[in-house]
Amino acid sequence: MKKKTPNKKTPSLKRMTIKNTATIERLRTETLPAKEIKPVKQLICLLGDERLVKEYSTLFQSHGIAVLELKSLASLKTSAKKITVAFELTMLADEQKAINLQVLDEMLPEQTPIVLSSITSTLLLQTHTLKHRDRFIGLAAFPTLLAHQLVELAPSLHTSKATADTVTALFTSVKKETAMVQDSVGMVMPRILCQIINEALFTVQNDVSSPRDIDEAMKYGTNYPHGPISWGELIGFNNVVTVLDALYHNHHEERYRVAPLLRQMVIAGVFWKPKE
Amino acid sequence: MAISIGIVGAGTMGAGIAHIAALKKFNVQLYDINDEVIRRSVEKINFEMKKSVDKNKISDDDMKQAITRIKKRTNLNDLDTCDIIIEAVLEDIKVKRDLFKKLDQIAHHTAILATNTSSLSVTSIASATKKPERVVGMHFFNPVHLMNLVEIVKGARTSDDTIKSATAIAEQLGKKTVQVKDTPGFIVNRVARPFYGEALKILGENIATIEEIDRIVKKSGGFKMGPFELMDLIGNDVNFSVTSSIYEQMFHDPRFRPSQIQQQYVEAGLLGKKTKIGFYNYDDK
Repeated sequence: MKKKTPNKKTPSLKRMTIKNTATIERLRTETLPAKEIKPVKQLICLLGDERLVKEYSTLFQSHGIAVLELKSLASLKTSAKKITVAFELTMLADEQKAINLQVLDEMLPEQTPIVLSSITSTLLLQTHTLKHRDRFIGLAAFPTLLAHQLVELAPSLHTSKATADTVTALFTSVKKETAMVQDSVGMVMPRILCQIINEALFTVQNDVSSPRDIDEAMKYGTNYPHGPISWGELIGFNNVVTVLDALYHNHHEERYRVAPLLRQMVIAGVFWKPKE
Repeated sequence: MAISIGIVGAGTMGAGIAHIAALKKFNVQLYDINDEVIRRSVEKINFEMKKSVDKNKISDDDMKQAITRIKKRTNLNDLDTCDIIIEAVLEDIKVKRDLFKKLDQIAHHTAILATNTSSLSVTSIASATKKPERVVGMHFFNPVHLMNLVEIVKGARTSDDTIKSATAIAEQLGKKTVQVKDTPGFIVNRVARPFYGEALKILGENIATIEEIDRIVKKSGGFKMGPFELMDLIGNDVNFSVTSSIYEQMFHDPRFRPSQIQQQYVEAGLLGKKTKIGFYNYDDK
């Protein structure tokens, strides 16, 4: 068998064969003073999009980790000290999310890491007015992806090594691999996936083919795990549009323009269903 | 009566179609201008079928019979009795149009003329003939005996009967079919563009490395291959030219803009597996 190694033989392309960004490199190389690790009883606090809270809650509980699904911020008061890691899983970075983050930052002990969905707005932007920016780390919390073995994390310029390590260790303890990417709108998997789904909807809109045939073509012509339109439906087309709009506003590029049909489907709440 | 299928061009795709057609008991007329190309092509079919025999997917007898069903042709006129002729020559509109003009004269008047083009206009190829209604796109995927799909492409003047017959033949070849209008990239090559293009753009924005993007796409998205592995497998030259062609045909719609990074890999000769180096290094060591 031929061994596949990263292409390191091309000095002229060095500029393009990208090294990890400074932030990620720093987190990787920095060492923390050795500390006695005391076994702590984990308590994960979750709030945000109901469905994502359910998915992450199930993941942690299935590995015997206690979970607190937070219905209101007021209920945080009594348990704040016992929480070991908090998750804010609202996809859209709106005012409510900003309030949630601020309250979490004020109430939780300052060493407690806070993991937040950073797909539609960067971690840097979402945390730049908060007091303890070093304890936050971004997460590609996106429907359907938790079924797989890897979670995508994004540290900001302020994220501390301790935060990154604690959160990585937490995911390792529930048998998930992690990948660190640069803090950016859409991150990696949601960005690629939403663009594929968007193109599929443009293809429907242009009457090039039927939704069913488009899904079949992508499954059997290129081995995609799901047809893009069924996948969009599983994710929720509203979530797909939220990510695409964020990319569009972030890049100001027509490339991320949402297929008008896709937006109409979200507004109407009428989704295509494959016929059996 | 077995269906007689003519295949023009004995390269990778032509050989692949001949392979599955012979196993499905079609009479195959495999044409190429160069008899050496045909000889090598049949050798390759032999080799691939042998692998299927070793895996007990087909019997030794199946293989022997299939091979005898493939007739080597170097005279295009020998395709005059075919029920369907599938063209799989190089992706050049002038070459294909000239060929279809000839096939239109040679082929039986009821025969279907199909093109396996992946990036050219079926409508334009069809208009080189006097009967564009019998011309259809049948887009197979490489490797043909493993990829279970054929895109049936309806040109502007393709008749419904031609679509029906082409679909039926593809199904008899054991393939799933999808119907698509003649538009740039059809379904698969169009909808798959962001898989490569967005990954290249993410790389260009320095968000993650090649290896990390591939790892994330496979292990967080559940894809069988990462975009950079797949581009290396397809060949950066081929992938870049498909993207560029769709971009041109879409009148520079920015969604399809090719990547400067990939262009430079092509210019540098870092084409992927076939040059042993691309985004990854495939040296034997």
